[in-house]
Amino acid sequence: MRPIMAIATTTVGEAIRRRVLLIILFIGVLLLSIIPSLSVLTARSEQSTMISTMYAVLRGTSALIAIILTIYMIPNEIERRTIYTILSKPVMRWQFLVGKFMGAVLALGLMIVLMSSVMVLLFYIFQQPSPERLLEVARQPFFYFLEMMLLAAVCIFFSTFTTPLVNFFLSIGIWGVGTVLSPLYSSIASNSGASPIMQSVAKFVTGAMPAFSNYDVKNPIINPGQVIENEQKYFIYIVLYAILYSAGLLVAGMVIFDKREV
Amino acid sequence: MAAAIETRKLTKTYKSRLHGLINVVQDLDLTVEEGEIFGFLGPNGAGKTTTIKMLLGIIYPTGGEGFVLGKEIGDMDVHRIISYLPERPYYYEHMTGLEILRFYGALFGIKDEALFNQLLERVNLAADKSKTISQFSKGMQQRIGLAQSLLNDPKLLFLDEPTGGLDPIAHIEIRDLILNFRDEGRTVFISSHELSEVERICDRVAIINKGIIVRQGKLDDLLSGGRIEIIADDVSKEIADQVKGTTDATVSFHDGRLIVDMSDEQDPNSVVDSIRSTKGRIISLTPRRKRLEDLFIETVRDDDASKKKPAAVAAEVGGAQ
Amino acid sequence: MRPTKSKLLGILAATFVGQMALQVGAIQDFWKKNYWSGQGFAESLSPDQTLLQLFGFREFLAGILWVRADSFFDEGNYDAVLPIIRLCTILDPKQIDIYATGMWHIAYNFTDEEQRSDRRYIPSALALGKEGSRQNPNTYELFFETGWIWYHKIDDDYHQSIKWFRQAQEREDMLPARRNLLANAFQRNNQVREGLEHYWKLYAETAADYEKQKDIYQLFQQKETLEQNLDTMIVRMVQRGWLAQERGDASQTVYDTTEPFDVGFTARVIVDEPKVIRVQGTWNVLPVGTRIRIIVRDADNPNFTLAAMDWDGQNEVVLDPERDATYLQDQGFVKNRRFNKRIDMSKDPTMYPFSRKSENFLVEFYYNPRSASLHVQDKFGWNGEGMTDKAFLRTDVRKDYEWVPGEKNGKYTDGWKLQERQTPPARIVYTSLKLSRDQILRKGDWIDKTPIVQTSNFDASRFSVTTEDIIDVPTLRSSAPRPGANPEKEQEAIQGAPGTTPR
Repeated sequence: MRPIMAIATTTVGEAIRRRVLLIILFIGVLLLSIIPSLSVLTARSEQSTMISTMYAVLRGTSALIAIILTIYMIPNEIERRTIYTILSKPVMRWQFLVGKFMGAVLALGLMIVLMSSVMVLLFYIFQQPSPERLLEVARQPFFYFLEMMLLAAVCIFFSTFTTPLVNFFLSIGIWGVGTVLSPLYSSIASNSGASPIMQSVAKFVTGAMPAFSNYDVKNPIINPGQVIENEQKYFIYIVLYAILYSAGLLVAGMVIFDKREV
Repeated sequence: MAAAIETRKLTKTYKSRLHGLINVVQDLDLTVEEGEIFGFLGPNGAGKTTTIKMLLGIIYPTGGEGFVLGKEIGDMDVHRIISYLPERPYYYEHMTGLEILRFYGALFGIKDEALFNQLLERVNLAADKSKTISQFSKGMQQRIGLAQSLLNDPKLLFLDEPTGGLDPIAHIEIRDLILNFRDEGRTVFISSHELSEVERICDRVAIINKGIIVRQGKLDDLLSGGRIEIIADDVSKEIADQVKGTTDATVSFHDGRLIVDMSDEQDPNSVVDSIRSTKGRIISLTPRRKRLEDLFIETVRDDDASKKKPAAVAAEVGGAQ
Repeated sequence: MRPTKSKLLGILAATFVGQMALQVGAIQDFWKKNYWSGQGFAESLSPDQTLLQLFGFREFLAGILWVRADSFFDEGNYDAVLPIIRLCTILDPKQIDIYATGMWHIAYNFTDEEQRSDRRYIPSALALGKEGSRQNPNTYELFFETGWIWYHKIDDDYHQSIKWFRQAQEREDMLPARRNLLANAFQRNNQVREGLEHYWKLYAETAADYEKQKDIYQLFQQKETLEQNLDTMIVRMVQRGWLAQERGDASQTVYDTTEPFDVGFTARVIVDEPKVIRVQGTWNVLPVGTRIRIIVRDADNPNFTLAAMDWDGQNEVVLDPERDATYLQDQGFVKNRRFNKRIDMSKDPTMYPFSRKSENFLVEFYYNPRSASLHVQDKFGWNGEGMTDKAFLRTDVRKDYEWVPGEKNGKYTDGWKLQERQTPPARIVYTSLKLSRDQILRKGDWIDKTPIVQTSNFDASRFSVTTEDIIDVPTLRSSAPRPGANPEKEQEAIQGAPGTTPR
């Protein structure tokens, strides 16, 4: 456990100093802060539009950070030969991989917390919501964090056998598909015209692919008043899902990485 | 004394789309005794780094077997008592020397701050411990590398081109550190192509060329069989040509000065006589031990001539690593 | 402790199966039920918009588009607004404003030269309302708006607006002032008792609230209004003999509605020019305020029925109505016990195509006392019991329906069932006159002949022109002349153009 933590904390230290990431983070914060002025677009749904747009910026920025942060993680270690000094120590390859992943997750957490704080602050300044409402609005970023953890696992998995460029497009693609997976499934499932074969294929595909859309739970936050029963249970499920899926990807990564010549 | 490293027919073969199978390391039989400084020599791309990586378990051999400190290679227990300094390593640039030691220490589960400071002192970086790696010179980086490689008080150190790219003063510092390691009873495995360095510190060497060991043995044995150097002035061109023709030696002639480097098995008198016969002036006649450089060039050249492998291999191997 | 490969593969298989079970078994459908913001993908988005919405900027995009729709709207470019409305609702189905405005726009604002709206769009407007209320089940607004279209725009089949208003009523955010409307809808559906009870219920609630918070002037006002409404309604129930009827002793006293009044309806249609008709008729009621509904439509279109179309026919929003169908609705104002209306359908061929699909067209006359103004109803009663017509009174034109609420599903009633009511049927004055396509287009035999069709009892002598017959039909339009308007011709339109026979 100790080597994993050492690798993770070092990774965080490195991540929060990477200029590219800081620039993306800065742009994200900048975008967030211009959103309140765009909310004139809708007279009555100002709050809804403001929150949903902020969420979208938060999600997009986090995803970009997650991908850029993780795709270079292992290739960089190899290129700089730091991996040799690490692997020549009593560190198993899987420990290295897990350490890197945890570092990425921690760094992402930090950045998401930062952006969410800015978002909540802006929301507070411009809308003066009740504390309960504020708390409700602050809930979604936590689920985005889980989503980004899953995305980081996808990237780490790919980085065990692809180049960063290929990985970038693969991960973006998978994330893109994953974010529309549930809507897509829902469309097919609710389309009475779709054949049963089509429906079961849709069910399998959405079951196999990482369903990033699970973490998009903003609807009742944007549109208050909706009553959702057993929501806590759902939250537990999606936390579990993120952990299971990430673990699966990491294990698959370990299998590949263990045999890889670095 | 048990062997610190022993390999039998250790082989690493890569598949290349262009050249088919390439043996980067082939049938490597290597024995490194405990407590010695072992020089692992070879031109760029000869397979030195590949061998080290195999010994460390970072890459996997495709044939043969190897033992490090009595355990099969790849055994994680061995990693607790060995260390590795890669060629021109980079460390996390945002960290200070002390943080680097803390990080690598954590990989062993070492949290001993006194040890970290002591190591920094040992590699002469105590004064710079708050500088980040990005502010370090190359020599300092190499020294912090050595410091981290000592964290676990290793019995065996792998040093890959430890003096590569360093200025002369840094060379001396690093050399002294390595010599100290031997005095402390550690085994040091140095891979290098800087022969003068190796010659100064190594007990034994192996020369690897194109993946194959071509010479191995004690440095004294390998370099025994002395040579004689004759230097003379005012020598005429004819005499110089005559000497070149009669002796199996390296002869250089420029502006009346003749330098002859010949084996002591040959008789120097005939050369001296020839020079003197035309009023040539003998300046010196020095008996000399063979230099490692000579041995190396001789060995590699002979080996290349006998094999005539395609030149592309070296480049390919370099790329594969 | 290097994990063996087989162990790793085992873990891999387990996590994969585990996540899949979670996703398929527990997450997917829950997500769909609670977090899905509705539609799949809009096909008509441009690439940059698709990208925007893919990255989650749906609401933002909807906002931008809605602003654009607004500018089209200001320019009067109504056709451009329609797809944008649809797109906005697809992107952000929680934008109540877009649904509400969109519905109103579709139902009211596609108009011809004479400001008559294109009723072929009403099913689309209602479908939008249905979808909007499904998407936003926790707010009253779209239920109310949908009910309002039934109540005010269709102004018929009041059981429909009752259902929607009742659903709106269940939502906590329903504005108090809008709650009264349900009582009116009840009355129009001849559910007088329910109307009264609704007023009483509202009154009791408001009075109780007022007792608790006497300092809120609004509550006081509401209470006052409800008192007045109740007062008026009860007076009417007495005067119209409704209560007596319910008691069964209506015959003992003479009420305003006792002797059914014969309206003496007659009608005639003259095709003045291609697609320009003059509709005339008699209605022996003196007080001003009677409007006879006039419909011109395809005779055989299966979606059309007696003076109506299948308003409720769309469940999914289709913004493209049946473009080759013709359906006009207008009204004839009764003055001096006559109505005389020139209806020009020649300038809007897209609204009134008179396509080959139909060989015959009907001009329908429809008077439902349930929709009548209150002072007329004071004579005719809620259900027209004080009205009759020798020739055209019918009780088979509209059936009486009622939506019966089902079980409560959570907070809201679900499973509404449509039921026929066993009450005296609506007494409606209805007739239709048939015109062939050639007649209405003045083609073939009818190039120089003026087609006239009339009811057999039509008495042309009642249409001799006198100065006092000139009526100034009040309209909401500006008195400034429109570009291209021809005042003389319009004067003729009221008095009858020379050369048409017989006068």
